Amino acid sequence: MKYALLIYENEAFYGPDETGPEMQEIVRRHMAFSQELGAKCIGGAGLKATTTATTVRMSGDASTVHDGPFAEVKEQLGGFYLIEAADLDEAIAIAKKVPMLQDGLIEVRPMLGG
Amino acid sequence: MNGAALDQVFRAASGRIIGALAARFRDLDLAEDAFSESCVRLLQAWPADSAPGDAASWLYRVAERIALDSLRRQRTRERLVLNDSYLEPAGEKVMADDRYIIPDERLRLIFICCHPAVAADARAALTLRLVCGLTVAEIARAFLVTEPTLAQRLVRAKRKIANAGVPFELPRPELWPERMEAILSTLEVTYAKAHEDAAGSGPHASFAAEVLHLTRLLTELLPSSADTHALAALVRYAEARRPARVDDDGMMIPLSDQDPARWRRDLIDEAGGFFARASELGADSPRVLQAALQGAWCARRCLEDPAPWSQVLGLYDRLLVVRDDPVVRLNRAVAVAHVVGDNEALAEIASLDAIRLASFPPFQAVRAELCARSGRMAEARAAYEALLALNPSAAERLWLWRKLRAFPG
Repeated sequence: MKYALLIYENEAFYGPDETGPEMQEIVRRHMAFSQELGAKCIGGAGLKATTTATTVRMSGDASTVHDGPFAEVKEQLGGFYLIEAADLDEAIAIAKKVPMLQDGLIEVRPMLGG
Repeated sequence: MNGAALDQVFRAASGRIIGALAARFRDLDLAEDAFSESCVRLLQAWPADSAPGDAASWLYRVAERIALDSLRRQRTRERLVLNDSYLEPAGEKVMADDRYIIPDERLRLIFICCHPAVAADARAALTLRLVCGLTVAEIARAFLVTEPTLAQRLVRAKRKIANAGVPFELPRPELWPERMEAILSTLEVTYAKAHEDAAGSGPHASFAAEVLHLTRLLTELLPSSADTHALAALVRYAEARRPARVDDDGMMIPLSDQDPARWRRDLIDEAGGFFARASELGADSPRVLQAALQGAWCARRCLEDPAPWSQVLGLYDRLLVVRDDPVVRLNRAVAVAHVVGDNEALAEIASLDAIRLASFPPFQAVRAELCARSGRMAEARAAYEALLALNPSAAERLWLWRKLRAFPG
């Protein structure tokens, strides 16, 4: 089955851009983690901070464009992995190993057509 | 076999058959539907009084065939290639000794029902439905929700299990400790629900036996788990007292007034064995202390034996350290009343939040008893009346009316 692992952390921790030491450390760890996952990893990406986000809200035929992310929350979506796992337990086991430098959470969602 | 006995058979067979089918076909809905259909067919094939002696084996064979037929139709519709061996009934198993025809997959089923991915408020309901064979109506009543609400909860839980890919395997051993807490608390809730309603009456007898059996299986699975052994002890102590819990009029008899001669010694001895092991493994876990409390009461042999209030107070003192909640404080207060004095006991519960706890039956029950003991009769009466308003069981209602009749006017 295919799962999306959505990574939520407090992005302020990583500083304003990709140059901070925390960001460099976490990127290093994510690269090692992807290597470890090997063929189980079928996709993924790190996302720029929510300050760079723009939201398009659709309502009926109308759409509006706003500055900022979908929601103002304590932890923000910072990245995701798409993985192939035998079942939910394996997906959870992988999610527990996703690198994090602070408290946060990983949402595990099965993919459609998986 | 008459209607009531057949009902019993269906309940007792539910867990084993649904478990076996779910393990084989990886589909809870398929398993549940096939089992239900097999029950219907048994009733059609054998009008009351003539059902086969080993109805469970018959049900299993028929349910398996129903499931296979259903799968074949599904596969044909989806135009998938049939794997013949997968779709044939388990040949030799049909020939074997009846007792072994139905593989025991109930443990697996419990792990599935109590998976963390299943909504917490659905785990007990799903366990009661699939493993213990209770009807949706019975479960809804136990949890004080409407039938449609409960039915929805079950549907959502099964859908989640299917959609999220909850595995139909026993989890890897490394995961058992973290999964056990969900299972143990689900079984506690499950047993408590049966225990509340039952005044020793028929429909719940096999179900309670199911929970006892499952707690034993769990101790075999986790021989080093204090909590698992403690739970096995707790449910046996509780079940042992069932014959003494209500009198011949159906009125509740509180623990301290129950006649120990009516308790089941065999279950108390079994409980004692589990408790001994539990306390070797983890003497200060809340469940182990609760088992110790039950054990202290169940050590009484007859009503002339003094009630173990000092021991009970000591145990509540220890329990309070690891679990400080109103229930513990309330029960401890009763022990304080007997060991120290009524005023001290009232002082203990004065610190509790009376407003928040007003609709919590144990709060009113303890208040009523302590006030009555101290001669504060108006308050005692008010507390008993508050308890009545909280919709207690029939057995408890009878007891409350008896108490209230003692008040003037």
